[in-house]
This record gives sequence, C-alpha cells and structure tokens, in this order.
Amino acid sequence: MTRQRRVRDALLPEVDAQLATIIGASVVLMVIAGLVQIRYGAYEMPFEIAVRALFDRAVWTNPEVLATLVLGENAARFLGVYADLSVLSNATIVVWTVRLPRVLVAAFVGLNLAVSGAIFQAITRNELASPYILGVSSGAGVAVVFTLVFSLGAYLLPLAAVAGGTGAFLLVYAVAWRGGTTPVRLVLAGVVVGTIFNSLQTGMFYFIESNGVMRTAVAWLAGSLVGVDWTDARTVAIPTLVVVPAALASARQLDVLLLGERAARSLGMSVERIRFLLSTLAIVAASAAVAVAGLVGFVGLVVPHAVRTFVGSDYRRLMTGCLFAGPALVVTADVFARLALGGTQVPVGVVTGLLGGPYFLLLLRRTESFTEF
Amino acid sequence: MPDIPLVSTGTDSTTDHVTDEDPVDDAALLASGIELGYGEGIVVDCDDLVIPEGEVTALVGPNGSGKSTLLKGLSAELSPESGTVLLNGSDVQERPAKDLACELGLLDQENAAPGGLTVEDLASHGRYPHRGFLDPLTDEDRDAVERAIDLAGVDHLRDTQLSELSGGQKQLAFVAMTLAQDTDVLLLDEPTTYLDLHHQLRVMEVVRTLNEERDVTVCVVLHDLQQAARFADYLVALDDGEVYDWGPPEDVVTEQLLADVFDVDAAVSYDDEPRIVPRRALD
Repeated sequence: MTRQRRVRDALLPEVDAQLATIIGASVVLMVIAGLVQIRYGAYEMPFEIAVRALFDRAVWTNPEVLATLVLGENAARFLGVYADLSVLSNATIVVWTVRLPRVLVAAFVGLNLAVSGAIFQAITRNELASPYILGVSSGAGVAVVFTLVFSLGAYLLPLAAVAGGTGAFLLVYAVAWRGGTTPVRLVLAGVVVGTIFNSLQTGMFYFIESNGVMRTAVAWLAGSLVGVDWTDARTVAIPTLVVVPAALASARQLDVLLLGERAARSLGMSVERIRFLLSTLAIVAASAAVAVAGLVGFVGLVVPHAVRTFVGSDYRRLMTGCLFAGPALVVTADVFARLALGGTQVPVGVVTGLLGGPYFLLLLRRTESFTEF
Repeated sequence: MPDIPLVSTGTDSTTDHVTDEDPVDDAALLASGIELGYGEGIVVDCDDLVIPEGEVTALVGPNGSGKSTLLKGLSAELSPESGTVLLNGSDVQERPAKDLACELGLLDQENAAPGGLTVEDLASHGRYPHRGFLDPLTDEDRDAVERAIDLAGVDHLRDTQLSELSGGQKQLAFVAMTLAQDTDVLLLDEPTTYLDLHHQLRVMEVVRTLNEERDVTVCVVLHDLQQAARFADYLVALDDGEVYDWGPPEDVVTEQLLADVFDVDAAVSYDDEPRIVPRRALD
C-alpha cells in the first residue's frame, strides 16, 4: 500500500449518499450566502460587478497583488512581494478587503466551532455538549470584560479571550481531577467554574462607563463578525490548518472513547491522556473561533448534532460533515446578521441563537428518545 | 523459583488440589499477595491465585465477595495496594496499555456504545491495540474481525445498528469486538448477567469454543454457580475477599461450600453434569 493511500484511508471516510448530501447542500448554501455577502452592503454594486470583482484578473493573475491583499501590507513588504493596490477598481477593493475576508472568517469560525463541539460531545458523552462546556466561554468572557474595563487596549482582546478560555479550561480540569477524571466530573467542574466566572463577569459589567465600551463588550460576548478583515482571517486560518487534519486523525480515538471508559481502557487506550489531548485540540479550535468572533453560541452544539442525525455517530463521517456544515451555518447566519436590519448590524451569535433554538424545539417535538448517542 | 502452592488461604481444604505440574509455570495470570481496594478499604486480599494457561477458570462467590474487584486487579484496571499480578511472567501494571491489550482482553457485563454503530464497526474497534495512530485496517486486521464476527455468530447482524439489537445480541456484538482483539487471555466480568437463557448459553458456548479451538485462557466471573460448574475447568470460590477454595468444579462445588460461602442449604449432585438444587437460605 502506498503512503498516500494509507494516509487517505486513515483520514477520510467513505462518502455515501447522506454524507454527500450534507457536503453538497453545505457548499451550495455557502456559495449562495457568500455571493449575497459580497454583492450587498453600503457600497452598491450589481451582481455582475461583484462577481467580476471576485474573479478580477488584476488580482488572480498577479501573485504580488494577491499576496499583499491576503498577507497584509507589512508582511508583503517583509517578504518582498508588496504591490500597490491603488491599481485595483473600487469594487475589487471593497470585495477583496472588506467583504470576502468576512465570509472567510465566518467559514473558519463555523468550522472550528463545529469541530470543537463534535469533540466535546464525545469526550463528555453528552450530545448536548458545546465547545463552551468546559469553561471556555466564561473564562474568555471574564478576560474580555476585564480587558475592556481596565482599558488595556482593544488589540489585546483576541489574546485575552484565548488566555482566559484556556485558563478556565485548565482550572476545570484541575477541579475535576482526583486521580483521574470522568465525563460527569468534568461537566460538573465546568458548571462550577462557569458559574463563578459568569458572576465575576456580570459584576465587572457595572464598572463599564462608556456606552461604546459596553457595546464592544456585548458584541464580544454575543459573538460578532463586524469589522473583521484579513488580519482576523489569518489569525483563525493558522490554527485551523492544524485543527482539521488533527480532528480527522482523532476520529477513531473519539469512536473508541464513545464505547465507554472501561471498554476503551481494555482496548489499550490511555484514556486520561487521550481525553486531555482531545480536549486540548477542541480548546484550540474553540479559541481560534473566539479570538476573531467572540462567543458565537449554538453553532458548536447544533452542527454536530444535526450532522449526526444524518450520518450516524461514526466520527470520521461526522467530522467531515462538520467541516462543511459548520461554515455553511455561520456564513448564512452572518448574511442575516449583517444585512437583515438594513443599516444596523447585529452580532452573528444572536442569529445563530435564533436559528439554533427553534432547531432544538423541533427536535424535542419530533424525537421520541434521546438515547441514540 | 520457590514452590508456591496454588492457593494458600490457610484453610485445609485447598491443599489437596495441588497437581504434579508446577502450577506457576503454567500460569497465564499469576496474582501473588495482592490486596485490592477502593480508597481506604481493602476488598480483596488473596495470597496467591493462578489462572492456568489454556483453561477456563470461573470466579464465583456471593455478592460483595470481591469477584469483580479481583478481575479489575487482574486486568490492571485497579492497581493493587500490595502484591503483583504477572501476565506470562511480566507485571501487568508496568506494561504500556496498548501492549497489554494485545495480550489481555476484557469484556464487561454491560456496555454502552453509540446506537448508530453497526456490529461490524464495533468489532473492528477490537483491533485498536494492534493499530498505530494513523494506521488503516490491514488485511490481517480484517481477517481477525471476520473470524471474530464468525465465532461470535453475529454474521447475519453485521450491518445492523446496535440500537436495533436486543440486549443479548448486543452482548454478542461486544464479544465479537473483544475476540477481534485477538488476545491469548480473556477476562469476562459477568458476561451473562443481563441476558436471557438463550443468549447466556450462546455467550458461554462462544467462550468454550474459543478456549477449545484457539487455546485461549479464559477467566470469567459468573453469578450462576451451576453455569460456572458446567462451563469451567476450574473454579475459584471467593468468600469475603479471600479465596475459599480452588479446583475442578466437582471438588469445589459442594454442599459445604454452598452453606459456608453462599449461606444456602442446597443439594449438590454430579451424574452426567453438576446439579445444584437450592432449598433454603441459611441465616
């Protein structure tokens, strides 16, 4: 067996009708939503111009222009591939510097949250687990509000969010650890740490004085993609390059972990070590999303859950489905967040919540039992 | 190596079972001087216990006598407070988990698995210890899975999802997973407890076949004394965390044992097969 074949066999699932449907529908949805995002906005342009701007030959046939757009001016200068962007048309500038990066960031956020949620659902053996179940949201929230209250600088927010989230996760693990952990202990510790941090966060809110800062704080806590650019796209893309192959490679470990702790151990898995490594991977994915978009809710919960109802609980298939369905959901939700109310943008997390809530309502009404997992 | 008696519990009844062969050489699993417990309390305290190679050994005893705890000690799930458990001469506690799982399999009485999994998927997870992190299933793995499915008699169910199986069928699917692990030693923790009579017999027959055809050493915790006496080559009777008696079923299962260990007044007879007729509970 060749090496390439081996890697492919190990990472990629067999694509059957259900999985193909999910992938196909997600791609179609993403393309439509992406085109709408690129076409509409404060700078008016017809579809034809928008598409032409997207496939502008001045960008695609000129690697230096492309590099300057994607990598940013400073990095391009540093690498000696800088090109002056003033040669581009206005439509191209708008599409390439404002609208396209927002679509890309939305897709990356959706991907990371879906993968993170899928991993946590297996680790906690709870199909209603989300990426935030082990304290990430409350830790990141406290750190963000703290940074804002003490005016430490807005550029520190992504860093603060990641540091706070990771810190809370490690604290949860320390609280849950007693010669080992169990899914239940982890979830309970997550609740304990979350409660304390949420109280701290609410308390600190009272020290916010200006309205603008309050808005920034709310946008972070609700999860927003307003004003994201290529810097954010790069910030989230780099961890994603690690997360995707690692998540696919971990699928079999997750499958075995789902057989129960005792079974996994008797099959020779070092359960505690694997569980911690997988949690770390899920935290990296969640942090990547939180750093650029804040706490977008429900995506990490709904996407793996919905994909599972189509493809079953085999994690290679589930993970692959999440890689497509997650981006589709967030890109679509962001269309509503950005354009639905005309002049005012709402946080994308508000829209995902509004979509996710009814989904679960429907599920509750239609499902007899929740023992599938 | 000093001549360690098979079982030295201090009771006289055990000494007459010592055979000519040196039992320690024949031991697939040898537990010496182990004390097992959870937190403070010691639940099992047994001086020496041999699980002979290539035989079916059953651990029997009333509730709370430490059968399952002893099994956890043998499978390295629980680390003993003192003493060692040797698997083919090496300490189970010191071996890497995967390495150990290639030689020692364990099947639980109750198993939870995602309902969407098919029997074949489940069985192929039995190959976990034999595969590296990124290794796909090799032909050898597939053969082992096929053999396991065949042996467990779940061939007709291979594409069925677990959520559609009865409790007994599900247990057979897990038997297939454990068999696919392809170990020399197999530990079973009350594998028949929640099953109907048909599936109880099915599971025990698979175990017997495995032992006879593939020479696998089996150590099984059984609740049902009569079943144990019928299927096992050797019985280990546990009483309050200590080995009460060890030997072939005819020697171990006696009216005296039922009275002493199980607090039951019963009639025991061996015509073509063991028969235990319990009469009343003793106070």
